[in-house]
This record gives sequence, structure tokens and C-alpha cells, in this order.
Amino acid sequence: MNLEAFQNRVMPVKNKLFRFALRFLGNEDEAKDVVQEVLIKVWNGRDQMDEVQNWEAWCMRITKNLSLDRIRSLNRRQTQPIESGLEVRQHDLTPHETTEQKESMQSINDLIATLPEKQRQIIHLRDIEGYSYTEICEILELDMNQVKVNLFRARTAVREKLIKINAYGL
Amino acid sequence: MDSKKIEELLEKYWNCETSLEEEKQLRDYFQARDVPQHLKEPAALFRYFESQKNRSLQDRAFDSEVTRNITTGKTRRLLYNTMRIAAGVAVLIIAGWFVRKEIHKTDTTMVAVDTYDDPKQAFEETKKALLMISSSFGKAEEQAKKINLFNEAQQEIKPKTQKVEGV
Repeated sequence: MNLEAFQNRVMPVKNKLFRFALRFLGNEDEAKDVVQEVLIKVWNGRDQMDEVQNWEAWCMRITKNLSLDRIRSLNRRQTQPIESGLEVRQHDLTPHETTEQKESMQSINDLIATLPEKQRQIIHLRDIEGYSYTEICEILELDMNQVKVNLFRARTAVREKLIKINAYGL
Repeated sequence: MDSKKIEELLEKYWNCETSLEEEKQLRDYFQARDVPQHLKEPAALFRYFESQKNRSLQDRAFDSEVTRNITTGKTRRLLYNTMRIAAGVAVLIIAGWFVRKEIHKTDTTMVAVDTYDDPKQAFEETKKALLMISSSFGKAEEQAKKINLFNEAQQEIKPKTQKVEGV
């Protein structure tokens, strides 16, 4: 693969990689560093790329591993909430409604951040990125059963917390 | 799509029985219109997913930075490999030089051993050398005798001290 093919094929997935790294790290600069590292790794391993069946999943897997490495080396968990990027593109909203929307986005963001790591990864890959179960298995190196069980737990937890937020305004 | 259908889909969603297509339908539904009050919470959730999906790496310099890193990484690797080969060659050359020098040295000593052509002269020289060694031995023996004296003295003292200790 030459540089041009790399730019046309691999570079467009950078946003997916960025969002995934951000879900782990919670910090845009760290996530950006990880994505850059991933892209360099992919470039260096481009000869193997033809052998890989689903290279996008392969890139995502590298992102996961490098993000985990970074978390370990920084020895910390996701502490900073993802604050920006919560704007909802909906028309005809009054300023009050916009603020309300933003608040509910923030509370959902917080409740997903409190999920265990595996559940957080799976709900991100399925509900935000729209990957199939098979692809999620490949990215996270888990078997189908683990993926389904964790997704079920994640959605149940989210559902319960949403009801709580609505009932008590927590 | 009516809200009844959406509720059914939602129930399937919570049980993880929806397909990707059905999940997309849910996202589209909640994105597009005002939703009934009782569907407010899932609406917020699906809008959150949609908003997250639109997040992107907001850095114009990012692409060029990656490209630069890739290309410099390439030349650096090339340089590194060349250096490795050069180091290997240098080690071989130096080792070869030492080996050559060593072989050369043994050659010259071999030549130096055979100094005398005349056997008589060689015999005289040998005799001289042997005499020198024997006289050195003689000297050494004298010194050794002195040491022997000490040994004998020690032998004599030992039994006495043992007796004293025994008492």
C-alpha cells in the first residue's frame, strides 16, 4: 500500500478511532496521540493488511490496546468527563430547551462513564458506531456470548439509571 | 411509524434483540420529531448516541502531522538499518585486522627461535643457559633452608603448646 492509498482508505476512519480512544481516555489530547500512534502502527504493518479480513476492526483493536496501555502507564481511570461535543442538532428549540437538552446529554454521558469498562466499550461500539456483534467480538477479542451478556447488562443499567434520573432528577 | 411500534422496538432493544437496522430506525425516529412524554428518556439516550456519532477529530494539522511522521519514520528506519550494517562491517574489518596481526606475530617468533646455525655454538649457549638456571636454583635452596628452620621450630613448639592446653 502506498501513501496515497493509505490516505484514502485508512485516514477516513480516524474519527471512529478517535471516538473510541476518547471513550477510554476521556481526554481529547491523549486520544489524539493514541490515534496518531495507531495510524503509524497501521502504516508500519501495512504489508499484513491484505491478510487481515476486516482491517477496520483491526485498527479498532489496535486503538483499544494502545488506549489500555496508555491508561495503565498513566495509572488512572477516566476522570475527566467528555464535556464538549454534546450539542444536539435540533431545530426550533428555545434557549431553555437547548440548555435542558445539554443537561440531559451530560447526565447520560456521566452514567455511561460509570459503567464497567467492558460494558462501556460494547455500548459504544454497538450504539454509537453501529458495529455488528461479530465485528465487536473481533475488536474486543471476546466471544459472542460475552459480548451479548455485557451489552445486555449495559443496556439494563442504562435503562434503570434513566428511570431514576427521570423520577428523582438525579 | 406510530409510537406503539416504537415501544415494541424499544422493548426489543432493551432485551438486545434488535438488529442494526432496527436500531437505526429507533435513532432516526427519536432524532426527527417530538416524542410523547413517556418516551422522553429513551429519546434523550438515542439523541446522545447520535450526537456522539458526529464527534470528530477537530484538528486540521492532524493529517499532515501523521503523514510527516510516517515519512520521517521511513527515512529514520532506513538510516538505522544502514548504520546497523555499517557497524557489522566495521566489526568484521577490525576482527580481521587483529587476526592478521596475530598470525603475523607468531610467524616472526618462529623465525626468532632458530637463531643458531652452528650446532657447537648452540650447545655452548644451551650450557650457559642451564648453568645459569642451576646457579639460581642453588640460591633458591639456600633461601629455602632458612624457611625450613622456621618450620622445624614450629614443629617443636606445637606439641609443647598442646600439652599446656591439655593441662
